[in-house]
Amino acid sequence: MPDFLTGAAVFILVVTGLGLFRVLRSQVAVERMMAVQLLGTGGAAVILLLGTATASDALTDVALLLMLLSAFSCAAFTLGQSSSATATERAEEKP
Amino acid sequence: MTGFVDAFTVLAVGSGAIFFLAGTLGLLRFPDTLSRLHALSKADNLGLGLIVIGLLPHATSVSAGLKLACVWLLAQLSAATASQLIAGVARNRRPRA
Amino acid sequence: MNAVTGARDRTALFALLVRAAGFLVLWIVLMGPSLKDLPLGMVAAAAATWASTALWPSDSDVSVVGVGRFVLRFLPQSVAAGVDVARHAFKPSLDLEPGFATHRTALPPGMARGGLCAVMSLQPGKLPVAVARDGTIEVHCLDVRQAAAGPMAADEAAFTGMLRDGMRNA
Repeated sequence: MPDFLTGAAVFILVVTGLGLFRVLRSQVAVERMMAVQLLGTGGAAVILLLGTATASDALTDVALLLMLLSAFSCAAFTLGQSSSATATERAEEKP
Repeated sequence: MTGFVDAFTVLAVGSGAIFFLAGTLGLLRFPDTLSRLHALSKADNLGLGLIVIGLLPHATSVSAGLKLACVWLLAQLSAATASQLIAGVARNRRPRA
Repeated sequence: MNAVTGARDRTALFALLVRAAGFLVLWIVLMGPSLKDLPLGMVAAAAATWASTALWPSDSDVSVVGVGRFVLRFLPQSVAAGVDVARHAFKPSLDLEPGFATHRTALPPGMARGGLCAVMSLQPGKLPVAVARDGTIEVHCLDVRQAAAGPMAADEAAFTGMLRDGMRNA
């Protein structure tokens, strides 16, 4: 069973890496932000699989933290984007 | 009994991995940013959910299993909110369709 | 009059205590059951309860039966959403027609409306993008040909069934 779980982890790592490559090469800032979400979900899946394969419970905490970080960075990105958007709008309003 | 449990894990984790593949394929193939966001938030989350279900029988204790479920719950919550936050930014960035 | 507000305060306090107990259980699940760490957990639960009142006022309650019915409806749909995306992604020829649809919600702005958007974003082929002040939700659809107004109204009805009066007309 550990071999299968490790194999699945490697598979998801490769697939997530491909997705990351695609998203990070994009010119659109929003798509780069999607990389964080991808890393959160994919990374959590890989870590959980490896944690069960190696019977180390502590890795679950790592997965939990990774999810938390990706959620908060998405929120921070949105806040930063909306405040900079209102700033440019104000700048454009000025003659 | 263990054979049955292992078969269940292989099935759940395997299909979870397929959904991760689907998410990446969608990310590569879907035509615009918002559609790619659909692929990312929906397919990958189902993948993570299936993997958590597959790993549950191997949890060493009840609290370890509950913690696994917490990871999935947090992923579900964060996907639901983060995807529409990102979508809102994407919409403000471009002229209206 | 006073008796009524007193009873209301008491149910609000009770709701807060239930919530604090929930946070404590979550803390124990995350940190492991250890009697020595329990005081710290209680402090953390109290802080979490205090923070949660800003997002979710204590007088707004949800009905347990409503939540149950809602989860039973929501979970299969969330799975269907993932399957739907996967089906499209694996199709040799991409058969998508992305576009926007709108849905007018009757829910008040704030937590209830935000919750509805979050739930809708996990439904098959739908992703709420923006909410106007009058309650018009702009929804991005993977396939506009599938998206009818009917399912969205049904989603909202299922969601509203979970809320009790305090939140529905807050």
